[in-house]
Amino acid sequence: MNDTERSAARMRSPEGIRGSLHDFLKIAVDKGAVDSVLAPVKVPAENSYAWILMNDPAVIESASPVAPVMPVQGAKALKSLTRKGKGESRILAVMRPCEIRAGIELMKLNQVHFDNIVLVSYDCPGAVPFQDYVKDPGFSEESFGKMIASGRPGEENIKPACGICTEFSIVDSDIHFGYFGVDEGSAFVIPVSEQGAELLDAIGLDRDAKIADWESEISSIRDKRTKKRTETLSAAGERIKGLDGLINAFRKCIGCHNCMSVCPICYCRQCYFDSEVSKKDPDFIFEIAEKRGAMAFPRDKVMFHAGRMTHMSLSCVSCGFCTDACPTGIPVAEIFSYMADITQPTFEYIAGKNNGEPLPLRKFEKKELPLVHEIVKSAEGEEGSDE
Amino acid sequence: MTEDYITMNRSDNVLIIGAGLAGMKAGLLLAHAGKKVYLVESLPLIGGKVIKNEESFPNLECSTCMVAPVQQDVLQNPNIETLTHSAVEKIEGEAGNFRAVIKKSARYVSMTDCIGCGMCFDPCPVSLKNAWEEDLGERKAIYVPCAGALPNVPVIDPDQCLQLNGQQECSACADSCMFGAIKLDDKDETIEVDIGAVIISTGAETFDASKLPELGYGKYPGVYTPFEFERLFASNGPTLGELTIRDSEKTPGKIAIIHCVGRQQVGYCSSVCCMYSLKFAHFIKSKLPDAEIFNIHSDICLPDKNYQKFFNKVKESDTTLIYSPSPEESKVSQNGSGLKVVYTGADGKEQHVEADMVILSGAVIPHPEGSSVATIAGLNLDSYGFFEAGKDDIGSVHTSREGVFVAGSAEGPKDIQSSVIQAESAAGQVMICLGEVNR
Amino acid sequence: MKAKVGVYVCECGPNIASKVDLDRILETLPALDEYREIELVVKKYGLLCSADGKNYLEEEIKSNGFTHLVLGACSPRDHNKTFIGVCKKTDLNPYLYKIINIREHCAWIIPDKEKATEKAISYLRGGINRVLYQSSLFEKQLDIDPDVVVIGGGIAGIETALSLAGEKRNIYLIEKSGKIGGKSSRFSSLLPRQGKGLALIEEKIEKVSANPFIKVFLESSLESIIGFLGNFEIVVKSKNGNTDIKAGAIVVASGYGLIDPLSSESHSYSESDDVYTSLEIEEMLKEHGKIMTKSGKEPASVALVHCVGREEKGYCSRICCNYMIKIARYLKDQSDAIKVTEFHKGLCMPDKGDQSFHKAMAERGVEFRRIQKITQDGTKISFTGMDGSPGNADFDMVILAPAIVPSEDTDSLAELLEIPVSETGFFQEMHQTTDPVATSIDGIFVVGAAHSPKGITDSIFFAQAAAGRILTHLIPGEKIVPEVKVTEVLEAFCTGCQNCLDVCVYGAISYDESKGVSVVNEVVCRGCGNCFGSCPSGALRTKHFTNPQLYQEVREAIR
Repeated sequence: MNDTERSAARMRSPEGIRGSLHDFLKIAVDKGAVDSVLAPVKVPAENSYAWILMNDPAVIESASPVAPVMPVQGAKALKSLTRKGKGESRILAVMRPCEIRAGIELMKLNQVHFDNIVLVSYDCPGAVPFQDYVKDPGFSEESFGKMIASGRPGEENIKPACGICTEFSIVDSDIHFGYFGVDEGSAFVIPVSEQGAELLDAIGLDRDAKIADWESEISSIRDKRTKKRTETLSAAGERIKGLDGLINAFRKCIGCHNCMSVCPICYCRQCYFDSEVSKKDPDFIFEIAEKRGAMAFPRDKVMFHAGRMTHMSLSCVSCGFCTDACPTGIPVAEIFSYMADITQPTFEYIAGKNNGEPLPLRKFEKKELPLVHEIVKSAEGEEGSDE
Repeated sequence: MTEDYITMNRSDNVLIIGAGLAGMKAGLLLAHAGKKVYLVESLPLIGGKVIKNEESFPNLECSTCMVAPVQQDVLQNPNIETLTHSAVEKIEGEAGNFRAVIKKSARYVSMTDCIGCGMCFDPCPVSLKNAWEEDLGERKAIYVPCAGALPNVPVIDPDQCLQLNGQQECSACADSCMFGAIKLDDKDETIEVDIGAVIISTGAETFDASKLPELGYGKYPGVYTPFEFERLFASNGPTLGELTIRDSEKTPGKIAIIHCVGRQQVGYCSSVCCMYSLKFAHFIKSKLPDAEIFNIHSDICLPDKNYQKFFNKVKESDTTLIYSPSPEESKVSQNGSGLKVVYTGADGKEQHVEADMVILSGAVIPHPEGSSVATIAGLNLDSYGFFEAGKDDIGSVHTSREGVFVAGSAEGPKDIQSSVIQAESAAGQVMICLGEVNR
Repeated sequence: MKAKVGVYVCECGPNIASKVDLDRILETLPALDEYREIELVVKKYGLLCSADGKNYLEEEIKSNGFTHLVLGACSPRDHNKTFIGVCKKTDLNPYLYKIINIREHCAWIIPDKEKATEKAISYLRGGINRVLYQSSLFEKQLDIDPDVVVIGGGIAGIETALSLAGEKRNIYLIEKSGKIGGKSSRFSSLLPRQGKGLALIEEKIEKVSANPFIKVFLESSLESIIGFLGNFEIVVKSKNGNTDIKAGAIVVASGYGLIDPLSSESHSYSESDDVYTSLEIEEMLKEHGKIMTKSGKEPASVALVHCVGREEKGYCSRICCNYMIKIARYLKDQSDAIKVTEFHKGLCMPDKGDQSFHKAMAERGVEFRRIQKITQDGTKISFTGMDGSPGNADFDMVILAPAIVPSEDTDSLAELLEIPVSETGFFQEMHQTTDPVATSIDGIFVVGAAHSPKGITDSIFFAQAAAGRILTHLIPGEKIVPEVKVTEVLEAFCTGCQNCLDVCVYGAISYDESKGVSVVNEVVCRGCGNCFGSCPSGALRTKHFTNPQLYQEVREAIR
């Protein structure tokens, strides 16, 4: 849809965006536009949130569509729901932009089926690091509440990945709730896809609001964010330069593979590094250890991350779950995002866009050839200068 | 075509004359179908003209890489007997029952014992111009025509070898060979084979530019024929691909490529010259990015779905295209240390460009071997000297003699694709002719 | 059973022996600790590829009863097939043998004999380790169906059918229209170089109807296809229902269409103008025997405009120059008084004989005018000459040569057959120069103008070429031997992402919806390994190139 022609509905709630979204879920189910809702709900112990599929109005009442933390990537929830194909029931899923983008990547990989899913995104202020939230849920809730009320993306107390996120607003969902820079308590309900527009019609939301101001607000935030992202990631790039840089970056890794478990894109049934094939006989390991002079255990630390990077960097949506899940504080997401920002433009590919474009390595374009030549040439050039 | 071939005593073997791409392709198909194929080639190597080119249009693929697997398949195929350095002397009989006499010239090197290590070249005291390299490089009296020649077995030139031409006692090559592969007492051999069908794929040559003296070929070292330029450009050629003007170290700064040379004389458009002339422009630009190139052309003939794209690409960056109603009437003359090309411009007036190198894109003409084969086999040639095929038919590979077929440029100028198509077509017609178990 | 590995190094005369210390190899390898579990026989020989050498090797394999064999010799390109042949004469499965190139990779490139020897030892160790992980593979033989389905009843399809049909081979000719013959049967005459001309085409059409081994399906189309070379199953949809056909090969001869001249910015005219396409003129002549204006008069001046839509399409249609000269002849034959002007942008006359036709027509007074640019509005023509000077003229009649485009069914056929279409929109051949009739699917061929713009002569050549391929490769009663080094799917690892389906160029992989995994058709697979590389989960394994095999070889070689 052409941006200049974009029209939106407007919703208002004393509780701001959270209230509007909550109301929207209730209306959608109430009017029968969807059968169920998939959204975060606070767990009874009140120290986390979980993805709940619900159609009981009482349960929906307890939903928190905009939760301060992200314990499980939404795309993973969608995957466990639709891995085997579409269901009969029509589901409205409320997710952060990065979750929807990861979902789109999984859809391309045949791991998620969107056929009966209506995706709702919203201007994302960022998420509180999970460990911070667990330590002090009260403080986190309060600071997150303020962040939302400010109508601007968060600066503090958010995950590092959120701080450099440039895709915090409208993505290829079906409906987007835009509220950054909009009058307090008000949000634009923007149909993104035809399915989204139909749903808005079905529940009778008139689209008469002009959103040009909101759009310019978003683009000005995005410009600032892009600058920050470039600075942060190029610094990260410097740190991981060369094999030594990479080894240093992952020196603290304890091989727990948490980053892999939480990564929405990592979709292999079994990782090579968890498989029998990767286990070697002791003589072989001694032999390598002898050659290197020393060896750290568990093995395959850098190889594990490098392997994951090769598989994932083209689809990485920079959601930051890997960093969040790392018990030793390795900035995994920063390193992966750095790589993603190099590999994705190489193929003129943007992960998380649903424009019918296949995954880059599934097709070969002739124009990609000169680039390969260039890379080879520059590699040869470097070799030459070494001599 | 008649269906009632004599079925008694008929032979299933096939004789193919000319081991260029067309001959090899046809041979491989027939061998796959279990036919015994005699593939006769006059040169000591197989591969034909294509392997003279560094890259082939329009995809600029490495020609050797494209053809080498075909050559290997031919040489390793148990159903194909490749007779290099050989010539057919007689073809008697009729479709299904031919008898061919083939003369295998003495190679003086054993095909079975030689492993192609090339240790024998250095000791040979005789050096001379290498005709396969268009006389741009040298070879010894014992030689392979080019690096990578297949079969990778040298041949001794009996006219040049001191021992064989009786000038003096010399066994330098034989002494250097660890395998005893050199047989200085080797003799020509004549074999007779029974065959059921013949495919003629003797190929083509390019127009002899010295017939148009105004173009200065043979007079100025800077004037080249297309194959001379191909070898000059080839990385396995005499200069290892360095573009320097004949007999000098000079790199050309300006190059004129004259299209349609000989077109009026031969009376047809050769259909490939525009493309190879454009390819030359691209070749030159790839090695000499600062060179100025002029393609002096009349009609631009791009008869394939993929050709115009190549033309557009070259036009954009590699060359200045100059229209002349009659490029072949251009005149090349000395101009200081370089050359001057005077041509008729679009307005009918004389124009000129200066150039250090001039390439004459000559017409494709029948290979001289074709006419001798035509005489031996009693086949009609057309008014241009190519083999006449399907006189009253359309799209036929049947020559004027039943059971004898023609494929590739022996039938008329062709690009690689059309040659391969005719080769496959001829193979099919041979299968039909050999009386079908198969249909 | 304890592995017994034979390692034979070839001296290759002095080629290897003088540059690599073979005796040191003979001493070193058996003494290595890592081979304590296996029995290793290491020997050298003068020239293994010689007749004596092959016999020697055969005897050695038989008398020693080797379980595996490694040769240290030349490039596999030279003699891999030779030694596979030797293995086949013994009980040793050829896939338990490996040739290691210690000539090109060691002897010929490393001047220092000691270093060359060390490298040869490393490579041989790699080879020994690899063969231990190799498995026996066995060739399969498959029955074939010699019948052929030809899609399209134009001249290319007809020629294909006639070349192939016979007692042992039925041809199924599928034509979408109500009669066979294609566009060429609508012509009024052919070119002078084309033999007896139209009569030949008519003869061919009659031969098809008379041939008992050709079954023609009129007003029919391809409904579905599954299978592979030698064994396709096809459903043909006709007016009165579907027919199931089994065939060994498919020849696509779906022909061409013509661009609508009005889609080009340089051309405009209305229904009432005396503007015709070339095909309309052919039909007019065939029907009325005369070329006339809409008002029923003979035109006094006719402009023939070449290359209509060529710039837009980006290729030359190859045949237009010739048939435009033929149309000039129609006009001149009708009346020498008609003034005929051909506007062209360089003549394309790629066949011998074309130029003399052109010359003859020029001599009869047809004006050939080479121009750079042309615009046509009704019967008014404005143009820019080669020297840049503008010109314009009005004619009684304008005849256009529209660019040849792929037939409208090309895309849908390509999808059904799973063969690619090139950027020009025509079917994509296997290889532009060396394999023009084949497609990426073994057993599916493309001929005639479906391949690229071409005239009757070349269409016939292409048809015969496809026939040549089929006659030599799909012989009734004979079997085909598919590739054995194919890829297999380890279902437990497959996540069903279908990456492999996209990268398989042979259409060998399909997706099993019920199991949610990819399935490889081992007959179609060529073992190229594209899918292997695209699978993130390591669920694909190419036989003879498995991860452990490659890993073990490399590991030993660089140890």
